[in-house]
Amino acid sequence: MKSLYKMVLVLAIAALLFSIQPAVAHHSGAGFDSSRVVEVKGTVKEFQFKNPHTWIQVLVDDGTGKITEWSLEWGSPNSLGRQGYRPSTFPPGAKVIMRLNPMRNGAPAGGFIAAKFEDGTTIGRWDDKVGPSAAAP
Amino acid sequence: MIRRMKVILTGLGLSLVLVSASGYAQDRAQQPPSYTPTATPSEKLPDWSGAWQMMGGTVFDAATQTGKGGAIDLGVREHPPYNAEWEALYQRNLEKRDQNRFPDVFTNCGVPASYPRVFNLPDPYEFVIRPEQVWILAENGPNVMRIYTDGRKHLDEPWGTYTGDSVGHWEGDTLVFTTIGLKGNRDGDSILDRTGLVLSDQSRGTTRIRKIDANTLEVVMTLEDSKALTKPWAVTKRFRKLPQGTRLYDYGCAENNRNPVDEKSGKTLLLGPDGKPLND
Repeated sequence: MKSLYKMVLVLAIAALLFSIQPAVAHHSGAGFDSSRVVEVKGTVKEFQFKNPHTWIQVLVDDGTGKITEWSLEWGSPNSLGRQGYRPSTFPPGAKVIMRLNPMRNGAPAGGFIAAKFEDGTTIGRWDDKVGPSAAAP
Repeated sequence: MIRRMKVILTGLGLSLVLVSASGYAQDRAQQPPSYTPTATPSEKLPDWSGAWQMMGGTVFDAATQTGKGGAIDLGVREHPPYNAEWEALYQRNLEKRDQNRFPDVFTNCGVPASYPRVFNLPDPYEFVIRPEQVWILAENGPNVMRIYTDGRKHLDEPWGTYTGDSVGHWEGDTLVFTTIGLKGNRDGDSILDRTGLVLSDQSRGTTRIRKIDANTLEVVMTLEDSKALTKPWAVTKRFRKLPQGTRLYDYGCAENNRNPVDEKSGKTLLLGPDGKPLND
């Protein structure tokens, strides 16, 4: 695949397995397509550990040198803090593969599902058995 | 002539004093009804300490829910005993919900959760019992519900507020209180959940809270609304105790709100890193 970021179109059942609810505590999550799971590979630019939602900003190279900044929405820092996550969970510069429920209009954003770091450690509901199967938008 | 002027001036001065005095005496400000404060001895109060989490989703009345999923899923709705007018309003709200054009009033930050929604929030709660009042503290918002149990009466003419005016008492280990003075959906900024459930400025409630076991608090609300409902509507919410040591935090909704509502369309926006909407 030419593109460095790959899109995963998974069956609805997989989306159900991955979906997490805290991301929609403050507003409707209807802008995200919970039936689809997209995978992007990139570098963490910033982890905005602030209310009402945290946002993970990831820089993604499409393979031609064009960099796109993706915005991944996660739960509130309060909720994540109680689960043991911290601002240092996504350090700037970290190489990550991110899985997300994408925006319905194809914009570079979505609801965070899970992440895998270069060292193999994961965050969220990462499942190696569910793999990529579709092209990036 | 001079004497006549003195008499006139004296009369005018006296009149001013009398008018002023009478104006003060007739100030229209109302004082709350007087009462003799009482306090329930601490040893007679139950232990609701710790952090609590609402059980179930934020569909307000799961007992009457039809359709599967949460409050924003198509087909999901509840069935309060609305009259025809308010059922029609609810139907319109549901249609907007289905089009992602029924934004949560919280989304722009700044308004508190109203009663009864204050018992329908997703983050932890604390129930603080004092001899003369109870404070219900919700991390989400944050929101505070104050219930006076010191014998005071309701305000004689409460104006509509989000959480209203609550007074109550203890029946053994059960807190019983009534809530009046609610603004309801008068200004369009008070909902019960994201399906579009609303009540009017004539709504009121009677709430009973008790511990049904060591780790479960039960809140039963009986809602009445002469404008919107044909009969009282009873709704039960339950809360489970969170592990010892659970912390609650502040919740600055406006700290990094990347989801403002577009005023024209009613659509909830998602702002990109440059501050521009990604979902126009």
